[in-house]
Amino acid sequence: MGENDRTITHIGEVERIVDTDFHLTEQQETILPYLEEPFDKVLNVDSGRVRGQVDGGYLGQLYPSAGHLTPTDTGKAESDDIRTPEDVERGMDLMGVDEAILTPGLNLRLGLVHHDELAAAFATAYNNWLLDAILDADRSFYGAMTVAPQEPAKAAEEIERRAGEKSIVAVQIPGGGVTPPLGRERYFPIYEAAERAGLPVMIHNAATGIVGNYPLQWRGTKRYIDVHVPYHPAEQMWHLTTLLTAGVPVRFPDLTFVMQECGIGWIPYFMRRYDNEYAKKSEDAPLLEKTPSEYLDDQFYFTSQPTEGANDPEYLCAVVRLFNGAQNLLFSSDYPHYDFDYSDTLLKALRPEFTDEEIENVYGRNAADVFAL
Amino acid sequence: MEPNEPLHYVAETDELEEGGRLITSIRGREIAVFNRENEYYALANYCVHQGGPACEGRLSGRLTEDERGELVYEDDDEFVCCPWHGWEFNIETGRSLAHPDRYRVPTYETAVRDGKLYVRL
Repeated sequence: MGENDRTITHIGEVERIVDTDFHLTEQQETILPYLEEPFDKVLNVDSGRVRGQVDGGYLGQLYPSAGHLTPTDTGKAESDDIRTPEDVERGMDLMGVDEAILTPGLNLRLGLVHHDELAAAFATAYNNWLLDAILDADRSFYGAMTVAPQEPAKAAEEIERRAGEKSIVAVQIPGGGVTPPLGRERYFPIYEAAERAGLPVMIHNAATGIVGNYPLQWRGTKRYIDVHVPYHPAEQMWHLTTLLTAGVPVRFPDLTFVMQECGIGWIPYFMRRYDNEYAKKSEDAPLLEKTPSEYLDDQFYFTSQPTEGANDPEYLCAVVRLFNGAQNLLFSSDYPHYDFDYSDTLLKALRPEFTDEEIENVYGRNAADVFAL
Repeated sequence: MEPNEPLHYVAETDELEEGGRLITSIRGREIAVFNRENEYYALANYCVHQGGPACEGRLSGRLTEDERGELVYEDDDEFVCCPWHGWEFNIETGRSLAHPDRYRVPTYETAVRDGKLYVRL
């Protein structure tokens, strides 16, 4: 393959396709049996009803939900259940991917659980389930272990506990509704532990669960689309700006971040906007030694789904170029969520302008590098 | 629809009850046939969005607002949802609910002769 060749015409010709955001669909019942003490005794009561719920109790749903009508909840999109290794392989076959980074389902809302200690216990239970029921060192899919941002010290312990597992390749912070934002000092133990473990930190929001934590205007929206369109990228910007301002990439120079599922167009916008403002108020971010966008170029990666404008290659090619996407973009499907991208969606848009090398980077090599696959 | 194309036998009409659907293969294409109020509608079972099985999802109507701003549910069962992403298509016209002028699934003429259901393709 020559450096400037442009011969790839079809997704089948891409050498290695790594899906960097493939969701499990664990439910509360799935992970409750994996709770450790003290919560195992507290919640795994045998009442003959739904696990974790006693007669007359209201603990059916410990993860806050906004009650929006999504295409999944109305049955218009029929999302697949991904709760066994066979489910994962079936979905990967359908998406046409060779390898996948498995990310949580219900636990995308973990950052919203009000009971901090319980949130940390859920993270441990999720990781127990992930390692016990899903992952296997011989398979072509890997796990992002999950931590609860509510309890950073416990999160750091959790990272240390799992760091030696071969099939764990990342630390997932469910960023939806997390307050204060992820640049704040209280989270540094998580970054320190991830850096020491050599694991990238993935940040993924949850539009169905941001509920009351996100800025007050959120409560003025009454339709799912009004949440999903602006708040997914807006909340990532919220976390990202505070990470830069606090100098997290400087404090943890060997740590990389993967920002998930909020589209693409906002990335070059954010880089230029932050650079522009930094030129006028650099004292707000005194630790930064380079132009802020250089940190994003060097230590941050972005997953591709949902690829807005995929039917407009001119737009998408330009936008991907504007943040050096050939090095920083990671293909992701988001399967089995209702807004998943099939594996060739991005390729069709990039093919007119991107070389084989660049396409191989976006589809697999960048991910292989980030997750040390 | 090309009137010169041949008719293809699909099923006996009593095999496709009102409200039902069947999916068949004609000349290498997957075709869905719906019976809505004893009218038959045929569409390609292929989603113009990302290639999903457009005609295999649930049938639905649409939630809209009347002139007073009250929510109303209209056109019950006139739309079929692609189970991959929930795109909705009118089973009579094949047009997308969200973008009727931009996206449509191909539709085919149906015919009934002597209790037998045909699609022209």
